Amino acid sequence: MGLREYVIRRSIYMFLLIVAVVCFNFFLFRLPTFLFGASPVSLMLSDELRRNLTQDLLEQMYVNFGLVPNPDIFDWIYMFWRYIVSMFTGNFGVSFLTQRPVMDSIVERLPNTLLLMGTSSMVSILLGIWTGVKVAADPGSRKDVSAVTVALFIYALPVFWLGMMLLLIFGFMLPQWTEAMWGIRIGFPQFGTISYDVWEVARGNPLGALMVAGDVLHHLFLPMITLGVGGYGGYFLYMRNNLIDVMTEDYILTARAKGLDENQVLYKHGLKNAMLPMVTIIALNFGFLINGATLTETVFTWRGLGRFIFDSLLLMDYPVIQTIFMIIAITAILANFVADLLYGVLDPRIKYG
Amino acid sequence: MSGSHKGWRDSNWYVSITGFWKEYRKHKIGLVGLALILIFVGMAIFADGLITHDPTPQAKVAPTYLMPSWLSVFDPNGVITGDVLTDPNLEETPLIRANGTHGEFSGIHVPLSDTNNQSYVNLTWSHTAGTQLDFDIDPEGIKPDYGDFVYFEQNFTWPYNNRPSDVNMSVSFGTTLTGDFAPGGPVGNNLMFRVYVWLIDSSNEWTKVYESREATYVEAVQEKRISMNYLSLKSVFDGMIVVNGTQQDPSNDVRIVIGLAPYRWFDSDTFGYPWQNYTGTVTFKFTTLKMVAYGEYFGIMGSTNWGADAYSQLIYGSRISLIIGILATSLATAVGVIVGMVAGYFGGKVDEVLMRVVDFLLVIPGLPLMMVLAAFLGASIQNIIIVIAILGWTGTSRLIRSQVLAEKNKAYVESARAIGASDTYIMFRHILPNVTPILFANITLGVVGAILSEAGLSFLGLTDPEDPSWGRMLADARTGGAFSTGAWWVVLFPGLMITLLSLAFTFVGHTLDQVLNPRLRER
Repeated sequence: MGLREYVIRRSIYMFLLIVAVVCFNFFLFRLPTFLFGASPVSLMLSDELRRNLTQDLLEQMYVNFGLVPNPDIFDWIYMFWRYIVSMFTGNFGVSFLTQRPVMDSIVERLPNTLLLMGTSSMVSILLGIWTGVKVAADPGSRKDVSAVTVALFIYALPVFWLGMMLLLIFGFMLPQWTEAMWGIRIGFPQFGTISYDVWEVARGNPLGALMVAGDVLHHLFLPMITLGVGGYGGYFLYMRNNLIDVMTEDYILTARAKGLDENQVLYKHGLKNAMLPMVTIIALNFGFLINGATLTETVFTWRGLGRFIFDSLLLMDYPVIQTIFMIIAITAILANFVADLLYGVLDPRIKYG
Repeated sequence: MSGSHKGWRDSNWYVSITGFWKEYRKHKIGLVGLALILIFVGMAIFADGLITHDPTPQAKVAPTYLMPSWLSVFDPNGVITGDVLTDPNLEETPLIRANGTHGEFSGIHVPLSDTNNQSYVNLTWSHTAGTQLDFDIDPEGIKPDYGDFVYFEQNFTWPYNNRPSDVNMSVSFGTTLTGDFAPGGPVGNNLMFRVYVWLIDSSNEWTKVYESREATYVEAVQEKRISMNYLSLKSVFDGMIVVNGTQQDPSNDVRIVIGLAPYRWFDSDTFGYPWQNYTGTVTFKFTTLKMVAYGEYFGIMGSTNWGADAYSQLIYGSRISLIIGILATSLATAVGVIVGMVAGYFGGKVDEVLMRVVDFLLVIPGLPLMMVLAAFLGASIQNIIIVIAILGWTGTSRLIRSQVLAEKNKAYVESARAIGASDTYIMFRHILPNVTPILFANITLGVVGAILSEAGLSFLGLTDPEDPSWGRMLADARTGGAFSTGAWWVVLFPGLMITLLSLAFTFVGHTLDQVLNPRLRER
């Protein structure tokens, strides 16, 4: 079976998986309606509004949101059909809560999430590969054992707690300390993605873009470090174990026998081969980039998708969660696919079958 | 490893437990992990004996955000929040004394005994009309109006060099009245006596903190709350502060005196003294006397934003983490093993369907799905376990499947089949024991995942708010403004506990992986 056939087969399989995810999506978020008969409309109504509500108006509200009060099985089938059609035609609907198109709210938050996840992934991948290689050259040494212990520690660390500690130290204690020492507060902001006053000043300033960028970076630093360190342990262990495995291969022995110096063996022969599975892992990871990091975003009140999922989940804002959920799942499926193909392209020894 | 050498690893894992242990104990981090797990399990089992206060997150026992008391060693003027009196239930016999010479006043202490489950002190005034009392009114209104009264007292030593920020006291008493003092007697008979609580410092300065002003005295024991105001706090405690090496009061001892005394009351018709017309007895039964002084420090780990004891919650949190970690992982492992075995052993259509389900679960974003299920199913522990298990079994089933694929074509399976063993028998009696070693590392690492997931879910507030768990403590710290008040102890310790527990399981899992899965060791 050639590459062409493999790609076709994988594509069909991918499409089926996407269909499955879309269907699953519909039922998952309507679970409370299935189980308890809870309705998002009744969650939206305040007592004040409910008192002044006529039956006509209530029905009108249901119709506006594409919902049916007390749906029977045929209503469900109808709603499911409409859902499927709108999902595949790219009509993701309007948020129950804000009455804005779902896509607008998502696009608004997407850059923040990508910025945070992208930079932090960079930090952890680069750090992980670098230290992994350093350590794998001499497994079992004191340096190796301590690095592995640190990596295991990071692996066991609840990342959001690390964020809280950083926030407490650099967002609270550091400014307090500098204020006591020199009378000015130097530190990192405690919350948000950008400061409102900076935004106000920047709007009328020719160098406003620079100020905004600087302020966003200032806000970005702590969550980026948090997620970067949080992801580091896994990459490091993976890189190290791979490289140690590779270094037992015969071609490494050959390279050494040829008289190459140890650095050349490690980087030219060892690293190149150990990077192959690493590339797969990185590609898979990129599939979950837009996933956001709900917990870390919560700690730093970063305005990203992860927190958005959680907030709209509690308010039963179906259109928002089902859209984000679907986008995340489809990205993950695509990333899986790309990772598989990439592996074959990079490593000619792999035969598709 | 050469083929002729037969090590313990070649026999079944359960017959070679000693060989395994010999190998395991060479790994220092494995031993550290095991010790930590044992400590946490002990903490979870003996939690009820270890806690000092109510572990419910909302149970208020102190002001909010008090620092851990061991930090007071850095602060010579710090006051630790806590009970001041050592005998709040009056179990020891206190000093009981009657002033004056009449013999109308008496007091008795009744200790705990087989027939009496509540120790108490009785103060009695039995009056006969006409007996003259020593009327001696105090112009400042601190001491009682008569030189004749009865009291009991307790002592405490104030160990701190500062005034407490607040003091809460309470005294419980019930009243028995007879004769003219009883209800239905002359009008206003209940105004003729009062109960007082005084604090007397070592320079014999009296401070009145309580004086009963009941409309009706009842027999049932009621707890009366006493709060000290700024002036009374100053007058009691300020004399004990050392200024320039000297302090005003001779010592740091303070007496608490609870007295029953007649009150200056004149009959509105005759303006007569109370002793002239009444005959009867008044008995006060005191059951408790509590005094809590509030300072800047509290308990072993400080107090939370609810004013609850952080230490008790920390201890109790180990229960939730361990229960959820272990049960969720067992459930996930059981499902994963069965699915993996079935898929690997039968192959074909079954394998295809099961593996597609696994693929499906792997592309669904994990934490959001958990949030959805936890939010929709409800916040009980069982639901959290189920939610974590639903997403946890996929890795195990893939692992088991690949192992079973390698094992099922081996000779022993074929021979078992030849003698007519059923599929189930082969799967669980022959193949399972051979793939078990690879499971152990997987299980311990699964526990880590479950513990971290539980912490994350409760940090988002998706678990029961009444359950004291470490993630919940962190959530409370975030929403309770720990970052703007700098209450680092409610952030540091719960996170440290989560880290230590999951680190212990990570260490054990890593060691098991190295011992049982020797690929990485051989070089």
